Amino acid sequence: MRSAATRPAERLFTVAVWAAAGAVAAVFAWMLADLVAAGAARLSWSFLVDAPASAGRAGGIGPILVSTLLILAVAIAAALPLGLGTAVWLAEFARRGSRAARRVRLALDVLAGVPSIVFGLFGNALFSVWLGLGFSILSGGLTLACMVLPILIRSTEMGLAAVPEDWRRGAAALGLSRAAALWHVILPAAAPALSAGLMLGIGRAMAETAALIFTSGYVDRLPGSLMDSGRALAVHIYELSMNVTGGDANAYASALVLIALLLVINGLAALLAERWLGRRIVTS
Amino acid sequence: MRSSITRTAALLCALCFAAGAQAADERLVLTGSSTVAPLALEIGKRFERENPGVRVDVQSGGSSRGVNDARSGLADIGMASRALEPAEADLNADAIAMDGIGLIVHADNPVHTLDADQVRAIYTGALTNWKAVGGPDRRITVVNKAEGRSTLALFLHHFGLTNRQIRAQVVIGDNEQGIKTVAGNPGAIGYVSIGTAEFDQAQGVPIRLLPMGGIAATVDNVASGRFPLARPLNLVTTGTPGPLVRRFIAFARSERVRDLVREQFFVPLAR
Repeated sequence: MRSAATRPAERLFTVAVWAAAGAVAAVFAWMLADLVAAGAARLSWSFLVDAPASAGRAGGIGPILVSTLLILAVAIAAALPLGLGTAVWLAEFARRGSRAARRVRLALDVLAGVPSIVFGLFGNALFSVWLGLGFSILSGGLTLACMVLPILIRSTEMGLAAVPEDWRRGAAALGLSRAAALWHVILPAAAPALSAGLMLGIGRAMAETAALIFTSGYVDRLPGSLMDSGRALAVHIYELSMNVTGGDANAYASALVLIALLLVINGLAALLAERWLGRRIVTS
Repeated sequence: MRSSITRTAALLCALCFAAGAQAADERLVLTGSSTVAPLALEIGKRFERENPGVRVDVQSGGSSRGVNDARSGLADIGMASRALEPAEADLNADAIAMDGIGLIVHADNPVHTLDADQVRAIYTGALTNWKAVGGPDRRITVVNKAEGRSTLALFLHHFGLTNRQIRAQVVIGDNEQGIKTVAGNPGAIGYVSIGTAEFDQAQGVPIRLLPMGGIAATVDNVASGRFPLARPLNLVTTGTPGPLVRRFIAFARSERVRDLVREQFFVPLAR
């Protein structure tokens, strides 16, 4: 009798799975190699801190990095409490299969698929014009928060739903209030899902161009406050590669910085989610 | 743990207060054409340096937006990369530079000239193979500009076409996108800003500008006014603009920013 691994179909399946995984890794490696080859030469400390000159062809990306981080901070500050609250309501408070919960979920799934330019126009109409925030980092951050919410909520909700029912009963048996059980037992247990959702959201937010060009805007000056317009890194890259003649080299270097920044922020988000939530399950 | 959350919240509050307290002494807001935006941004920076206390905020979004924002007062100055239309006669337009539009093909394409009828036939889909105009047996990829782009309107007007007649395979936005599309496709034909195309050609990007009406597509021919397909880059204002706006427009039209105009591959105004 031949062993399972040597059967042709089995072997073909193994090869196909490996090839698929390899192809995905290769695409990323190719992209990264392309970026490093074209952009690494421009990277330097002064590129990271200097202001852009000559419409971005020369100089650095200092003010743009600051704007990007501020926009992201606003987005997270707005999305995290809202998202966490909605996820908790969906997973813990709404009755299983209730109509309200189904509708909220449907709304979230639709929102998750809405093209970013639609969020951009919505953000421009609501935050910039109607609420009078104008072109500002605040407008951009809040628009991104709307975009990130569906991803954040859905993945947190999945995480909460995956916490075994016994834990809730156990907490109730010990006399913990619902809020205390949530805070001390269930949320910490769902922390990995929360941080995964946060990372996906941050990834989407950092890569965003269309939603930001009409909300946080185009100005590449160092923002003095959240009410100032500030250009995000992704907008800068798009502008340099599609609109500014001779901006390609700096576009590549900026893209490299964006990817590095994404890795660093994702690492930080994972670490913080673990610290804030994950550790309590042991200590308390 | 809890204190770190509190601290983050306090920091955010402080930032918001700072946001409320901050106010620039004098602020000019420009919105509109993505073509003009980089130039306006640089002119704005120089204007800020020469006029301390003034802030110039430039936002892009397209010529139509520039005209609308200038009219509605959302912007102090609108930017439009085209001449004003008859329906926009209530606005003032001040040109700060010229920009020529030229047809480009891939550098490997042996076709060196196309007359207006051939261009029309290609863009309306009547001609679909380069063989018909003396080229190799290769399908023509028609690259057109997106609806709302000033270059599109100028191109259509010049060749007497409407956008519904055009059979395009690729629809693009900004100049560099057009150049990258044509450079990556030996069968493509498109139209872009001549200054941009000249620069990219000099950088070794495989594209070639075609002459129009027998006149070579060069920045010099645009500057002298001989090249037929050119457009003004305008600053649009409404009614009687305030002193700061007038000062900025005068500055943007002056000799002091000619180097910036050239740096953006546009053509300075003839003196």
